[in-house]
Amino acid sequence: MIKILLLFFIGLVSTFILISFSSDEGKLEPHVPGEFSLEALLMQLGDEELNHSIGTYDSAKAKLGEELIINGRTVYEGKLSKKISKHFVCTDCHNLTREFENLASESPKDRLEYAKKNNLNYLQGSTFYGIYNRTSFFNGDYLKKYGEMTLNARDTLENAIQLCSKYCSSGRYLKDWELEAMMHYFKKNDLKMSDFDFSDADLEIIRDAGSNTEKENAEFAKKLKSKYRQSYSATFLKPIQRDDRKYGEGGDVQNGEAIYEISCLSCHAYKRVTYLSLDKGKLSADMFWRNIRNYSDKSLYQIVRYGTHSKFGRRQYMPLFTKEKMSDEQLNDLVAYIKQLAGK
Amino acid sequence: MRKALLTLLVILTFGAFGQDVEGTFIGTRILNGHSVETLKKGALEFKIMHRFGDIAGPDGGVQQFFGFDNAADIRFAFEYGITDKIMVGIGRSKGTGAPYRSLVDGFIKYRFLTQNKERGIPFTMALLGASTITYMKASDDSTSVQSFPKFAHRLAYVTQLHIARKFGERVSIALIPTYVHRNFVAQNDVNGLFALGGGFNFTFTKEMGMLFEYYHVFSEPGLRPDNFNSLSAGFEYTTNGHNFKIVWTNARGFNETQFIPYTYSDWTLGQFRLGFSISRTF
Repeated sequence: MIKILLLFFIGLVSTFILISFSSDEGKLEPHVPGEFSLEALLMQLGDEELNHSIGTYDSAKAKLGEELIINGRTVYEGKLSKKISKHFVCTDCHNLTREFENLASESPKDRLEYAKKNNLNYLQGSTFYGIYNRTSFFNGDYLKKYGEMTLNARDTLENAIQLCSKYCSSGRYLKDWELEAMMHYFKKNDLKMSDFDFSDADLEIIRDAGSNTEKENAEFAKKLKSKYRQSYSATFLKPIQRDDRKYGEGGDVQNGEAIYEISCLSCHAYKRVTYLSLDKGKLSADMFWRNIRNYSDKSLYQIVRYGTHSKFGRRQYMPLFTKEKMSDEQLNDLVAYIKQLAGK
Repeated sequence: MRKALLTLLVILTFGAFGQDVEGTFIGTRILNGHSVETLKKGALEFKIMHRFGDIAGPDGGVQQFFGFDNAADIRFAFEYGITDKIMVGIGRSKGTGAPYRSLVDGFIKYRFLTQNKERGIPFTMALLGASTITYMKASDDSTSVQSFPKFAHRLAYVTQLHIARKFGERVSIALIPTYVHRNFVAQNDVNGLFALGGGFNFTFTKEMGMLFEYYHVFSEPGLRPDNFNSLSAGFEYTTNGHNFKIVWTNARGFNETQFIPYTYSDWTLGQFRLGFSISRTF
C-alpha cells in the first residue's frame, strides 16, 4: 500500500514538473482559408486600423492569455504568476464563445436562446469572443458604476481590461506581459470570415478588394460592420416597484428554469464563486419566494438589477444584470420557476 | 486489488463526480464539536465562541443573572480552507479552570468522502486531528493535574472520524467515533478515552436550523465519578458569510480535548448554560 501511495505521489509530482517545464516556442499563426480575420479583411477594404490592433497573434502568448482568463494565473518564465483576483476569474462573468446566432443582435431573448442551444452560461458580462473587433467598452450606464474610470476605458481595449481586472474582479492591474498575453488571446479569438454568411456577390467584392473603387470598398466595409456589434449597450434598471411586479404570472417556467441553471447556479451551485449556496431544492426556492416582495438582496427583483457591492472584508460581490443581459420578461420567467419550485 | 486501490485513491484525492451532497451541516462545528464540513478553498473564517455560567443550580439563578455574570469559556480562532476538503485552524481559549486555563489549540480536518447518490456513496466522512496545549502557570501542588512535571503534560490530543448523512433537504445525522488522549490525568482517570459523538440537524429554512449534539464517553466503572456526558442543543442562523449559533449546553469548555473529558455539569441540576458562536467567513 505504501509503495502504491509513493508511486502515485511520484507520478503526480512528475506530471506537475513536466507541465511546468513544457512551454511552446512562440510562433505566428498562419492564416488559413475561412479563418481569415475580419480585421485583415477590413484593412484590405481600406478601413481604419483598430487602435488596439496587434496585427497577428503569437500562439504561445495567446495560450498564456487563455490560462490567465480561465485560471487567473499561469506559469510565466518558470514561475507561477500571482492571481489576478482572489475572488473571480474572467469566465465567472464572461463566456469565451460566440453568444448570438446573429452577431448584430444584442437582444437578451436571442442571447438566451443561443445559450440554451449551445450549453453556455448566461452571464452578466459580454462574451470575449470578438471583443477584439469592438471599439467601445463599459458603455452606457457603466459610467454610473465606475464613474470617470470608464472614460479611459471606453475607447481602448487595454484600458478596459485593466479596469475590469482591478475593479470589476476586485483584483489588481495586469502586468505588461499579462496584458499582452490577453490581447494575443483576444486577437486569436477575433471574428473570422467564417463567422459570417457571405453571398457570392459579397465574396466577389472581397476577392476584388484590390481592384475595387475606394467607394465600393468603403460601402462594403460599412455593410460588413452592420453584421456584428462594435459595442454592446448597457442599461441599468431599477428594481420593479413592488406593486408593479408580476410575481411570475404569465411567465415561462421552462425558460425560468434554464435561467436559474445557466445563470444563478453557474456561480451559486456548490458555493463555486460565492458563499451563498443555491440548488434546485425547495429551501432555496422558499428563501427567494419569502423575500420576493422585498427590497433586499434576497429579492430576485432587487438582486438581479442592483447586484451587490464590493466592500472591505468582502471584496467578492455579485455584478448586476443590465437590461440587455436579462430582460424584465426573463426575470418574470425566473420568478415563475422559483414560484413553482417553492410550491406556491 | 492494486487497480481498485488506485481508483479509490484517485477518487478520494480528486473525486467530485456526479452531484455531491453539500451542506450536511451548515458550519464547520455542530455546536461544541466539529462537524463533517470543511471550509472552501481559500476561505478564512474568524470565530468567536462564548459560553456563559450556569443558568440555574448553586452557581446560577438570579444572583448570577442566570449565568450572564460569568464566562465559562471564550474562544477566538482563525480557520482556513487549504483545499475544498482540507482545512486547518488555530484558536485560543480562556479555559474553564476545571482543570485548565489558557489553552491554544490547532487542528487539521480532511473531508475524504462526500455523499453522492450517483456514485453510490451514502455518507460524507472526515478525519479530524486536533491538539491543545495549556500555557497556564503550573501548580506547586504535586498532586494536582495542573502541576505539569513535564512540558508534554500540558498537551492533549483528539482524533475523530466523522460519518454524516443528509436525508433529503432538511435532516442530517452524524456519528463521531472519538479518541481523546491526555498526557497527564488524575489518579482516578485514564489517559486514553473513547467516546461516541452524535449530531443532528434539522433545517427550517435556508437560513435557520436546529441542532443537537451529544458525546458519550466510555470509561470503566469507578473511574471519573464526577464526569458527565456533554449534551447540547441550539439554533443557528446563517447569512452569506456569517453563521450565528445559540447554544444550551452542560459543557463548559471548548475543544474536544476539554469538553469531552472535563464536563462536570449536570443538566438535571440546572447546570447548563447559554452560549453563542459567531463565524465570519472572508
